[in-house]
Amino acid sequence: MDLYSLKRMVNMKQIKQQIKQAGMVLVVFFTVVIVTSAYAEPPGPTTGKNEAKRPNIVIILGDDLGFADLGSFGSEIKTPHLDSLAKDGVRFTNFYTNASCSPTRSVLLSGVDMHQNGLGNMDEFTAPNQWGVDGYEGVLNDRVATLPQLLKDAGYHTYMVGKWHMGKTPEQIPAARGFERDFTLLDGAGSYWDMTNLSAATPKSVFTEDGKYLTKLPDDYYATKTYTDKLISFIEAGRGDGKPFFAYVSHQAPHDPYHLPQDWRNRHVGEYDKGWDAVRQERLKRQIELGIMPAGTTLAERMWFIPDPIVLAPASRAILGKKMELYAGLVENLDFHVGRLIDYLKKTGQYDNTIFLVFGDNGAEGNDLFKMIAGTPGTRDALFAAINWSQTHPNAWGDPGSYVAYGPMWAQASMTPFSQFKGWLAEGGIHNALIVSGPAVKRPKGSINNSVMHVADLMPTLLEIAGTSYPKSYQGRELPAISGKSWGPLLAGKAESPRTEQDYLGWELFGNRAVRQGEWKLRWQYKPLGTGEWELFNLVADPAERKDLAAERPDKVKALLALWDDYVKTNNVILPSRSVFETMYDVLPVRVPDDPGYPPLLYKKQFVPPKEMVVEPKQ
Amino acid sequence: MKFVTFSWFIFALIPVTPAFFPSQALAQLPARFYLKSLSGGSAVPLIVESISGNTNPFDPAHNVTAGANFDATMSLAGYALAFPLFDRAALAAIIVPMGRISGEVTVAGKSVSQSAKGFGDPMLEFDINLIGPPAQKNIPDVLRYEPGFSLDLLADLALPIGEYDSSQSLNIGQNRWYGRVAMPVIWQLGPWVPGRRTTLEILPSVWLFGDNTDYGGKTLKTDPSFQLDAHLTRDFTEQLWGAIDGTYYKGGKSSVDGVSGTSSSNIGVGLTLGYQINDNLNLTFGYKSTVNDSAPDDLKMDVFMVSLVYGWHPLVEGMKRLSGEK
Repeated sequence: MDLYSLKRMVNMKQIKQQIKQAGMVLVVFFTVVIVTSAYAEPPGPTTGKNEAKRPNIVIILGDDLGFADLGSFGSEIKTPHLDSLAKDGVRFTNFYTNASCSPTRSVLLSGVDMHQNGLGNMDEFTAPNQWGVDGYEGVLNDRVATLPQLLKDAGYHTYMVGKWHMGKTPEQIPAARGFERDFTLLDGAGSYWDMTNLSAATPKSVFTEDGKYLTKLPDDYYATKTYTDKLISFIEAGRGDGKPFFAYVSHQAPHDPYHLPQDWRNRHVGEYDKGWDAVRQERLKRQIELGIMPAGTTLAERMWFIPDPIVLAPASRAILGKKMELYAGLVENLDFHVGRLIDYLKKTGQYDNTIFLVFGDNGAEGNDLFKMIAGTPGTRDALFAAINWSQTHPNAWGDPGSYVAYGPMWAQASMTPFSQFKGWLAEGGIHNALIVSGPAVKRPKGSINNSVMHVADLMPTLLEIAGTSYPKSYQGRELPAISGKSWGPLLAGKAESPRTEQDYLGWELFGNRAVRQGEWKLRWQYKPLGTGEWELFNLVADPAERKDLAAERPDKVKALLALWDDYVKTNNVILPSRSVFETMYDVLPVRVPDDPGYPPLLYKKQFVPPKEMVVEPKQ
Repeated sequence: MKFVTFSWFIFALIPVTPAFFPSQALAQLPARFYLKSLSGGSAVPLIVESISGNTNPFDPAHNVTAGANFDATMSLAGYALAFPLFDRAALAAIIVPMGRISGEVTVAGKSVSQSAKGFGDPMLEFDINLIGPPAQKNIPDVLRYEPGFSLDLLADLALPIGEYDSSQSLNIGQNRWYGRVAMPVIWQLGPWVPGRRTTLEILPSVWLFGDNTDYGGKTLKTDPSFQLDAHLTRDFTEQLWGAIDGTYYKGGKSSVDGVSGTSSSNIGVGLTLGYQINDNLNLTFGYKSTVNDSAPDDLKMDVFMVSLVYGWHPLVEGMKRLSGEK
C-alpha cells in the first residue's frame, strides 16, 4: 500500500464520497403503463366449514431490513415482538428474495419470476433494449394474477398498508390488484412524516386509501404508526363476518431516510462508536450461539473501500455510529408497532389463528440514494433538496427534511456474515431472514430450518394454506407458471426442504446474474464488486463468498451455466444494454484484498521500554 | 475529515466566554451564557459598552445617586478556559474591566463633576455544572451535547486592585472585595438543532460585598442583594439568534459610616442579537434599560453593548490546518 492509499484509508471524507459515487441508486419514478382492470374469477373450492378454520395471514415486510437486524437472528437491536414470533414459530436461514425492492414485491404478490411479471428491471433503470418488452413494463403487469386477487376469490378479506412501488395509475394500484382495503404509499421511498418525495421531478409522494388518491395525509401521520393504525381499523371493521383476512403489511421502515420520532432516536447513543467490524463480529458470534449460522462461519471480508473503524477518529466513529443508532431505533420502532398489531390480535382472539411471515425485501441498503438524486450541485434536484432535504445537523437526523442513510459499512453489518448489499447478487443483496409462525407451522416452536427457500414460494404456500390453488388461467387469460414451491410439507414438519437437489434458483438484476443449486452458487457481477467473470462459491462451506472456486471446479461452472441458460430461456431474461453498475469500476478505487492488520504501520503501538532501562538524559 | 463543520465545534466554544460579558452593567449576563463547550477550549472576548444612568456601572451594588447622570465607556477583556472536573463541565475565567466614566455627582448636597479612568477590579469566575450532560471531553461529546435541563453552581470574586481614588466618590475600582454565588439554569425547549434552538434561562444569584473602609475617609457597607436574570432565546438561522432579557434586582442597601441609604428594587429589560461571523468569531449586540425608574431614587441605566468573542481549541485548529482551511 503506497502513501496515497494510506491517506485515502484514513480520509473518511474521501471514502464517503467514493462510497456514495459507487452507490447504485433506486430512484423512485414510475412510467405510466395502462393495465387493464382485473376481476376475480369464481371463488376457489372452499366450504363454510373450512372457511371458519382457515387462518388469517399477515405478511410483515421490512423495507431493506437486513438478515442480521433482528434479535432472533443475532442482532443487538431490540426486537422483542418480532422475536416472539420467532419463538412461537420457525426461523429460516436460507431464504432468498431478489436484490431490490419492486422485483421482490412483484414476485411476492404474483409468484411469477420478475422477468415475466413486469419488473424484469426496476422501472427507474429499465435499459433501452428492454423498453417495450413484455415482462419489463416497470409495473406489475396484467398478465399475472395476484395473491390478494386469488385469496379474495377464495373468501379472504384482503388488506394492504404501506409501500407499493409497482404502479400508480388507477389500473395498477392495490385496489385494482386485489386489495379490498388499503392505505398505500405508491412511491418507492419518501418522507415518513409527510408527502415530501425525493426529487424535483416527483416532489410529492402519492398515497391511496381504499382505492382513492389522497389530497393530504391524516393528522398525526407517521408512516409506521399510521400503517399499523389503519390495518388494525381494517381488520376490526371486517371482523364481523367471520371471514379470514390476508394483510400485506409493507412497511416503509427501515428504508432511508431514517425518519423516526424523537423518543426512538437516542436508545443506542454511543453504542456503535466501536465500528462496523466489531458489530459484525458480535452479531456473528450470537448467530453461531443461536444456531443461525454454523460454527466456524467466517465473516465476509470488509469491502476494500471501507476503512477499518479502529483507524478512524472518535468524531468520525461517532457520526457514522449515530447513523446506525438511528437505523436501530427505526427497526425498534417498527418492532413496537408490530407489537401493537400482535396485541390487538391477541386481545380480539385472532392471534392463535393467524400466520405471520416476516422478512425483508432485499439486502440492506449500502447505496446512496440521496447522493444519486441530489448530489450534483446546480441540478434541479440539488435545488429541491436544498429546500426540502437539507436538515443535515446530526441533532436534526430523524426530523422532516433530514436524509440519513447508513452506508455500505453498516449495510454489511446488517447483512452479517454475508458480502455486499442491496442491488448486488452476492448473498448480502438477496439473502434474508424469514420468520413464519402460526397454525400452519407444526415444526417445533423456536426451531431453525436451513433449507433453500424463495419469495416466489409464498404464492403456492399461502394458496395452499387458504385451501385453494394457483389457477391455470385468470379472467380468460392463461397465466404464466409460478416459479415457487409450496412450503406446506415443510411447515407441517413432513419435509425438510421445499426443494430437491435438482431444483435451482436464478437471479438477474441490473445485468448481474446468479444461479444457486444445492450448495453451489455461480455468480457474475460488474466490476469491481464482481470480477466481470463467472465466480463459483460453495455456500455451505463459504456463506460469505470469500473463495472463488471457478478455476478449481470447471465441472460445476459448466453445470451451473447450463442452469443459467435454462433460467434465461424459461423467463425471457434480457440482459440490460445499460446498467447502473456499468461505470462503477471507474468510480471506486482499485480493488485490493482485505488482509486484517495490513499495513502494520497503521496498527503499531507505542513501544514501552523495560522500566529498569529507563533513565534521564546525561547533561 | 469534515463529517461535521468546524462551526459546530466553535459554536460549542463560544459559550466558554461567559465571564467576559459585562456582569457589572445592569449586573446581568447575556443569554446563552452557560452553554457548555469542549473541554480544553479557550476564548478571549472584547466587550465594549456605552452606559448612562444614575449609578456607577462599575459597582455592582448599584448605589443610586438621585439626580446624578453618569456616562461611561467601558470595555472588558479576559480569558476563559473550559475543563472537566469530576466529569462535570467546569469553567475558570478572569475578566478585567477598563474604561472611563464621568458625571455629575451630588455629595453632601453639593454637586460636583467627577471622572475616572483606568482598570477596574479583575473578576475571577468559577462555574461547574451539577445537573446536565457530562463534561465534553472529546468531539463525540460535543456532537451529542444538548443542554436539556441543566443547573450550575457559579462563584464570582472581584479583586480590589482596580483604580481607586478615595478623594472622589466616582471610581472604577471599588476598593473592596465583592462577589456572588449563583445557580444558572438552562432549560432547552424543543430540538437542539442550529436554526431551531430555543432556551429559557434563569440565573438567581446573591451578591455579597465587603466593606470599603476608605470611601472618602468613611466606611461604605452594602447589604447582600438578590438578582434574578431571565432570558428567552431563539435561533433565527443557524448563525443568528436573539433573546429577550429581563433582570430583577432587590436589596443591596448601603450605609456610609452607619448612615443608611435606601434598598432598591429594580427591573430591567433588554434585547440581544447574536451572530456567528465565522468558525472562531462571535458577535453580539444588545441593549438594556431599566423600566421602573420614574422616581428620583429609582435605578436608571441603559446600556448599549457590542461584544466580539474569539474562541478556539487546539484540536479544532489542527484539523483546520490539515484540511487546508487555515
